[in-house]
Amino acid sequence: MTEDYFEFTKKLFAPEDIARKKEALSGLRVLDLSHMIFGPTTAKVLGQFGADVIKVEVPYQGDYWRGGTYWGKYWKHSNPLWHFINPGKYFVGIDVKKPKGKDLILRLAEKADVVIENFTSGTVEAWGIGYSQVSRINPKVVYASLSTYGQFGPYRYFPGWDLLAQGASGVLAATGHPGTDKYFKVPDFFGDFFPGYFAAMLILIALNYRERTGEGQYIDGCQAEILMRSLFHFTYADAMGKDLERTGNADPNCSPSGIFKTRDGKFLALGIATDKQFQALCKAMNRDDLARDERYQKAARRLQADSAEALGKAVESWIKEKDADEIVALGRRHRFAAAEVLDDVQIANDPWRRERGSVIDYNDDMYRKLVIEGPIAMLSQTPGRTKWLTRPLGYHNRYVFKKILGLSEAEIKALEKERVVGNWDYRVGQRPPIYHDIAKDKIFNYEGGEDH
Amino acid sequence: MRTIKERVYSRYLQKKGASKPLSEWSQFLSKMMAVEGKPEALDDMMVLDLSYANFSGNVTASFFAEAGAEVIKVEPPEGDPSRILSPYGANIQGVGVPYLMESRNKRHITLDLAGAEGRENLKRLAKQADILIETFAPGEMDEWGIGYRQLREFNPGLIYIAITPYGHYTARGQEAAHTPWTDLTSQAESGLAALIGDLPSAPEPYNWPTRAGFYAAGYTSAVGAACGGLIASLFKRRTGEGQMIDIAAADAFASCVGFPPTIGYVWKKPRIRYGTLDYGLCPYGFFKCKDGYVAIACFRDQDFRAALKLLGKWKIEEDWKTLLDRITDDIDKVLELNGIVEKAVADLTYGEINEKFSTYSVKAARSKWRGGGLPVTTKMLTAKDVLQDKHWQVRGTFNKIEHPAYGVVTLPITGKMSRTPLRIKWISAGIGEDNDYIFKKYGLSAKSDSA
Repeated sequence: MTEDYFEFTKKLFAPEDIARKKEALSGLRVLDLSHMIFGPTTAKVLGQFGADVIKVEVPYQGDYWRGGTYWGKYWKHSNPLWHFINPGKYFVGIDVKKPKGKDLILRLAEKADVVIENFTSGTVEAWGIGYSQVSRINPKVVYASLSTYGQFGPYRYFPGWDLLAQGASGVLAATGHPGTDKYFKVPDFFGDFFPGYFAAMLILIALNYRERTGEGQYIDGCQAEILMRSLFHFTYADAMGKDLERTGNADPNCSPSGIFKTRDGKFLALGIATDKQFQALCKAMNRDDLARDERYQKAARRLQADSAEALGKAVESWIKEKDADEIVALGRRHRFAAAEVLDDVQIANDPWRRERGSVIDYNDDMYRKLVIEGPIAMLSQTPGRTKWLTRPLGYHNRYVFKKILGLSEAEIKALEKERVVGNWDYRVGQRPPIYHDIAKDKIFNYEGGEDH
Repeated sequence: MRTIKERVYSRYLQKKGASKPLSEWSQFLSKMMAVEGKPEALDDMMVLDLSYANFSGNVTASFFAEAGAEVIKVEPPEGDPSRILSPYGANIQGVGVPYLMESRNKRHITLDLAGAEGRENLKRLAKQADILIETFAPGEMDEWGIGYRQLREFNPGLIYIAITPYGHYTARGQEAAHTPWTDLTSQAESGLAALIGDLPSAPEPYNWPTRAGFYAAGYTSAVGAACGGLIASLFKRRTGEGQMIDIAAADAFASCVGFPPTIGYVWKKPRIRYGTLDYGLCPYGFFKCKDGYVAIACFRDQDFRAALKLLGKWKIEEDWKTLLDRITDDIDKVLELNGIVEKAVADLTYGEINEKFSTYSVKAARSKWRGGGLPVTTKMLTAKDVLQDKHWQVRGTFNKIEHPAYGVVTLPITGKMSRTPLRIKWISAGIGEDNDYIFKKYGLSAKSDSA
C-alpha cells in the first residue's frame, strides 16, 4: 500500500504537469509599490500563484536592492540575490513626486485588487496614494502597508530594517551561547522574508473574505510584531517571571538535542521530542541503561536541565565516534530525527530538492540559467511557478501603460520627456545584461497585441 | 493617538500640506484598532488539525483559528506529545508553554485512529471539513484508509495539508518517511544552522553551526502551509475543487529566504559563519554599548557618513567612502571597520546614541540638501523588555487571556486588518474537552472515544 501511495503522490505532484495546471490567483492584479525585501516578498508569493504583479520603482534609481548584493559580487550586471525576490513581475518606473506620476499610480491602483507598500507610516498618505485615497476610487481594494513598527503607536515614524526588527522584537536576544557577549542575528534577512510571507497570508485571508462579501480592507503589517508572533518567549517570560536565556545549539524543547561534530568532521543535528523517539535513540546507541533510567523515560522529566545536559553529553561522545552518514542511517532505521547541517552548495546541488521542485534550474529568456528556490508550499492542483526572472528598471513601461492604461506611444514619449516615467541609468542592477539586444526586445518596445 | 512628542524622519511628512491628510489618517487608524463587533474572515470554514508531535501543524491551525475558522484539534486519547514539549519542561498545569501559546480559539477532541470507530468518526468530520492538517509519516493516513486519496472521494473540495520533514513525494520522501519532525533538524537541513555561529577563528564550539533560538523553521513552515491553504481555499471558493498541499520542513529556511540555493550555484562555495558581522553590509549589526546592545546600520553612503560624524570617527571616511568599500568579502577589512565602530560606541549609552542619531535624522530630513543621511538605531530587547515597551502596549500586541485552570496567560497576536482583524477569543488545552460539543455538532458516534 505504501509503495502504491508514492506512485499516487508522484503523479499528483509531477513537475512536468505544473505548466499545464491552473493558477489559483490568475486574474488578480497586484500593485507593488514596495522596495527592498519585506514588501517585494509578499508580492512575489501572490505572483508565484498566478497574480499579475506590477512593481513600481523610481525611474533612474530603482529599488535599492537592485544595486545591493553580498560581498560586492554581481552577476550579469545584476544583483544575483534580487532575482528570486522579484521574479515574474512587471517592472515600471514612475515618479510619484510628479503630479502626473501620482495620477498614473492612482489609475493603476484603481484597477488593482491588491496594493502593497512599505514606506514609513504616513508617507503614501502624504503622497496622495495611500489607502484613504485609493479606497475612494477602488473600495474593494485590499491595501497592505508594511513597516518595521506598524502604522500606529509611538514608534510609527521610526525607520527600520530587518536588523532593527530582530533587535526590537526579542529575536536577536534569543540566539547565541549562554554567558557569552555575542548575540547572533538570524541571517539572510529572515526578519524581512518571514514577515513577507506572513503579510501574504494576511492578504490571502482578506481575499478570501472579499470573495465571500465583496469587501476590501486595510492591513497594517508590522515586521517586528510579526517576528514576535513566532516567539514563545513572551508567554514563557510572563509565566516563569524570567527571560529564557540563550541555549547555544541545543533546543530546550527537545531532550537530548544539539548540533554535534562527527568523526568525519561534519556537523550533525539531533533532536528527540517524544518518549518513543527516545527509546529508539537508546536502541541505536545500544544504551539500555539510559532507556531504563526513570529520569529519562518521560519527556517532562527528560527536558529538565540536568537530564538534558547529561543526555547531551552522552550523545556527543557517541556521535564523536561515528560518521555523519552512519547516524543519519541509524535515525532512519530507528525513527529518530538526525540530519546533517547543510550549507549553500549542498542545498544548491541536493538531488532531493531538485526532484521535489524546491530548488529549480531556471532558464530565463534574458538571464539564461540561474538556480532559484521553488515555492514554499507545493499545491497539487494549482502549483506555484516562475514566469521569468527579474527585468531591468522600467522594462515593462510600454507593456503596462499601453495594455492596462491604454496610453498611446505619443503620450508615453511625452511622459518620458518630463521624466514622469522612465527606465534605467547605467548603474549596476538597473540595466539589462550587456549581451541582451534591447532594441530588438518586443516586450520592452511593446507596440500592442501579443501577451507576455 | 499621539503619545509622545513626535519626531518625523521623512521630508514628505514635514511638508506643509501633509498635516491634514495625516490627521485624517490617524483618525482612521484609531477606528481600525478596534476589534470588537467586527466580522471574522474565515468563520465559514472548518479545519481539522491532526498534527502529532509536530509543532508546525499546531501553528498552521492557529492561523486559521485566529481568522475565525472552527478549528478542531484531533488527538489520540493520550494526547499529542507536543503538548509537553517546552523549554526545560516548563509548564502551566501540565501544558507546555509553546503548546499553550498556540492553543488559541481551538476545540480539542480525542479520536482513536487505531480503531475502526475513530476512523469512521474522522471520515464523518472530514466530509464536512474545508481543510485537514496532518503530520503523520507519508502514507500512514493512507494505510489507515483516511488519507487524501480516500477522503477526496467523498469530499472533493477538501484541502489536505501535510507537513513532514521531506514531503509526501520524491525518493527521499519515501525512504525517510518515518523520520520524525523537529525544529532543530529542520533548521540544520534547510541551511540556517550553517550560517549562525562565530567566525572560524573563534574557539570551538562557538564557531560551530548554531540554532536560531526559537522555532524559526517551525513557524516558517507553518506560514507557508497557511499561505498554501488560503490560496487553495480561494480556488475552492471559485471552482469547488480541493487539493493536496505538501510542506517539507527540511526546506523551511532555504525556500523562505532563497539565498542558499542561488549563492551555492553562483559562488560555488559555501559561506563561512560570520559571527555578528553581516554578509551584505558593514557596519550592520548590534554593538555592545555602555548599557546594552545598540544597532548601527548604515546602508547608503550618506547614512554611513552621518554615523561617522556622530560617532566622532569622521577622519576614517576617506578609506571607506562608497558602499563598494563596505560590502567587501575581505574579512580583515570588515573586521577593521567593525572594530572601529565597536570602540566608538563602547563608552556611550544607548540613550546618547539614539538622541544623536534621531536629532540628526530629523534635521537631515528637513534639509534641502539630500545627502544628509538617516542613521537609524535601536536597542536589543529581551522578551521581558519588550513586554514593558509602551509601543506594543498601544498596539495591543500582547493579549492577556484568562483561563480558569491556567490563570492569566500572555500571548502575542498580530494581523491588524481593518475589517476582519485576527483575534484570540479563548485558550483551551484540555484533552478531549470539547468531545461532547463537537461529537454532537458533527454527528459522531460516541461509543468509546469520548469516554
